[in-house]
Amino acid sequence: MTLRKRLLGWLADAALILYFVFALFPIAWMLILSLKPANQLFSTYFSFSPTLDGYRTVLGDSEGIPFVRFFVNSLVVSLGAVLLSLVVGLPAAYASARWRFKGSENLMFTLLSFRFAPELTVIIPLFVLYEKLGLFDTYVGMIWVLQLVTLPLIVWIMRSYFADLTPELEQAALLDGYSRKQAFFKVALPLVKPGIAAVSLLAFIFAWNNFVFPLILTSNEAQTVTVGALSFLGGDRPKYNLTAAAALVSVVPPLLLALLIQRYLVRGLSFGAVKS
Amino acid sequence: MIGLRGVRKTYGKVTALDDLELDVREGEFFCLLGPSGAGKTTTLKTVAGLELPDSGTVEIDGKDMRGVEPYDRGVAMCFESYALYPHRSVYDNLASPLRSPRYRVPPERARERIGEVAELLGISGLLDRPISQLSNGQRQRTALGRVLVRPARAFLLDEPLSHLDAKLRQQMRAELKAIGAVRRTTTLYVTHDSVEALALGDRIGVIRDGRIVQTGTREEIWYQPYDTEVARAFGRPRINLLPGTVTGGGFRSVDGKVELPLPAGAALPAQTNPPAQPSPPARVKEGTDVLVGIRPRDLALRGPGHELTGTVYVSEVLGRSVEVTVRLGEQHVSLVAPRADAAGLRPDDPVRVTVRPESLLLFEADRPQCPGRRITP
Amino acid sequence: MRLALRPYLLIVPALLLTCGILYPFGLGLYYTLFDFSASKPQPDMVRFENYETVFTQDAFWNSAWVTVLYAVGAAAVETMLGVAVALLLHRSSLVGRVLEKILILPLMIAPVIAAIIWKLMLQPSVGVVNHLLKPFGLGGVQWTDTPTGALLSSIAVDVWVYTPFVAILALAGLRSLPTSPFEAAAVDGARWWYTFRRLTLPMLWPYVLVAVIFRFMDSLKVFDIIYALTEGGPGDSTVVLQIRAYLEAIRFQRYSFGISYTIVLWAVVYLAAMILVRHLGKIQRKAAEAK
Repeated sequence: MTLRKRLLGWLADAALILYFVFALFPIAWMLILSLKPANQLFSTYFSFSPTLDGYRTVLGDSEGIPFVRFFVNSLVVSLGAVLLSLVVGLPAAYASARWRFKGSENLMFTLLSFRFAPELTVIIPLFVLYEKLGLFDTYVGMIWVLQLVTLPLIVWIMRSYFADLTPELEQAALLDGYSRKQAFFKVALPLVKPGIAAVSLLAFIFAWNNFVFPLILTSNEAQTVTVGALSFLGGDRPKYNLTAAAALVSVVPPLLLALLIQRYLVRGLSFGAVKS
Repeated sequence: MIGLRGVRKTYGKVTALDDLELDVREGEFFCLLGPSGAGKTTTLKTVAGLELPDSGTVEIDGKDMRGVEPYDRGVAMCFESYALYPHRSVYDNLASPLRSPRYRVPPERARERIGEVAELLGISGLLDRPISQLSNGQRQRTALGRVLVRPARAFLLDEPLSHLDAKLRQQMRAELKAIGAVRRTTTLYVTHDSVEALALGDRIGVIRDGRIVQTGTREEIWYQPYDTEVARAFGRPRINLLPGTVTGGGFRSVDGKVELPLPAGAALPAQTNPPAQPSPPARVKEGTDVLVGIRPRDLALRGPGHELTGTVYVSEVLGRSVEVTVRLGEQHVSLVAPRADAAGLRPDDPVRVTVRPESLLLFEADRPQCPGRRITP
Repeated sequence: MRLALRPYLLIVPALLLTCGILYPFGLGLYYTLFDFSASKPQPDMVRFENYETVFTQDAFWNSAWVTVLYAVGAAAVETMLGVAVALLLHRSSLVGRVLEKILILPLMIAPVIAAIIWKLMLQPSVGVVNHLLKPFGLGGVQWTDTPTGALLSSIAVDVWVYTPFVAILALAGLRSLPTSPFEAAAVDGARWWYTFRRLTLPMLWPYVLVAVIFRFMDSLKVFDIIYALTEGGPGDSTVVLQIRAYLEAIRFQRYSFGISYTIVLWAVVYLAAMILVRHLGKIQRKAAEAK
């Protein structure tokens, strides 16, 4: 290898490292902030005596912000939204992958338009509606509105997985003497299981990360971590270490799940438009 | 036993089956031969009930199959794509029909049956393997095994030997018809390989553009092909087709270098008006553009018959015989001769070729999109 | 008959749920024809007056302008940076292979949390960014407190979160490119820049375009990042359309008027989508033919 080439290689690596410093430093800084004791918050930057007090305060609900409950809420509504979308979306995805018909094309297009619709178009009327129906600040209300996020994702991605599966497998099962239902459950479903797992996790992450729905449609009982973390910034004197701790706690589940589904991310992120 | 009456199937603007008529008799081994895209697979799937015809009816055992689900039709199908369950082992794939609600048998009986079939197909050693670890040939045999493992009213086999290597294919071709289950069961066998069709088919149906062009025994298809396309489909090397016209004395090629006597009784198709006098021997109007078909094995380097002279263009040894391409005027014809007869032939050597007039096939000239129909014999 | 009905039965639940989401949307559309607000719970029909007000307000045009600036700026920077990162990762050096595993981290952080993180870092007096810039003589930048700074900062957060999105799609594209043209170019001794312009970029473009479309459309309706970082301030400098709609409908409780804003935005997004998707279709067909 020539010196020139090696030099260019180093330069490329250096550029890459530079980007990743930009990408990772904020996360590292949050960790640092969250471990700072309150009295060293503004007096030092990188040298301090680390403490878990910030986390204790946040998870101990002691600032008047029931963060643990928000965390549980996030878990419940995200999980509920994903499950509902799976139950409702899988049959639709399967039907539209196997049979081209007008109803399914319209449904698919409507769902895709949800992906790009400004959320507030739906939320403001829902805000009015929920007040009337008593769904404001409830799990049911949140799970309903989160379908806007999870259902299009699950239906579109699963349709692309089902479409990749040759229908001849299920046809073979029919000729083997199985009913259509059995062909679906015994043949098609097991084969798209990795896809289901990946898309469920991705949908869970997106539901978890959602902010605008809980901001407007919950106030306390069903509020989630994204809104909860922001409330640490409120007040006259923002508590940086607590905010950082809350932010970190709230990003742990999506980050862990994301690392699990790396391989499947491309299809999920692009709504099935790009397969890897 | 299996009957398709005026079956039509379209996918959008593409017509897959175009008023297809087909009759497969009880117990027979019927080969459906055609190029890819001719509608072979669609025909099988229509019989199986996996595709529903736009119009026309499918009958099995004389019963209209409209509204009958695939699992109630009692047919077994071997898919060209194998359609094996990739998440299961070979054994589980073979066991799939025997565990289904329709064809369930006790596990011991299933084990026995799977053993027999695996033995028959030479895949006994693979039973525990997952499908992903099989070669294409092994997959194909597994797919065939899944068909044979249980009794069926009919077997529908879609190119079941196409992915085997040459040697195994030949062996399996010989063995397939000897398999007891196949002998006893009506079989509709789809292939694009005319050798396979000739070797296996009790009867052969030639399919093209979604229609059955000709149905018949191998002799009928060989000696009385419906048109030039069917004639071209069977036999390697391919049939020689010389373009020319009908003259007073018989046939003359376009370049005028080849003259052949036409067999007696060469007749016009019924719809054209017959000429008054019986001569030329064929009742084809003089001056009609025609194609004369000569099978390479009907041309000889020695022996009785009409003689033609030409020069050797190229020769290629095929084991005990030799394929010689001879230049006759501006045409090339190939012939297959015993090696002894062709010994010492070099390119550009003058050569005499003989042909017996009764082996000649006379066709109408090809037109675009419409191969010439046979006139005689 | 049963056969023909089956697919319809399978989509019925999804259809019902979809209607459950379409209903509030239709309701919103209906509300915009009234002057419904918290102070006027028995609204009167005003027909298209809300839309007239929207289009004659300076505030709307300001918001529209800010939104376009934000969307174009964010999408452009993310595309360039994302493709660059993808190209660097595609070399698959040791460093690249390690870093690739953590590429997605910022993308999986909720945008609102990302904005919170950056807000802490960009704080003018005690934030770490100014502290790190001090040695370069750049301390004391009023990041989110000047109009331009606030917009640029918001775009920066967007870039931080979504660059991996573009990079991941572009990388998938790079990995799926056929190798033979590149080998041929290498044999011919083509320069890197030539190969990149004539081979890589045209073949990669369909993938990048998917990313660009997603990013552009998403940034048109940005809310979380700006809400947490600047709340639209200072002044009206970062009031994008969704923030404006939020302020009108939720803060000031003028429901009808607020929804009118979102309907207009929805129409813009829809139009942009139609144009871009059609363009994408053309490009993909071309790419398919080229292969």
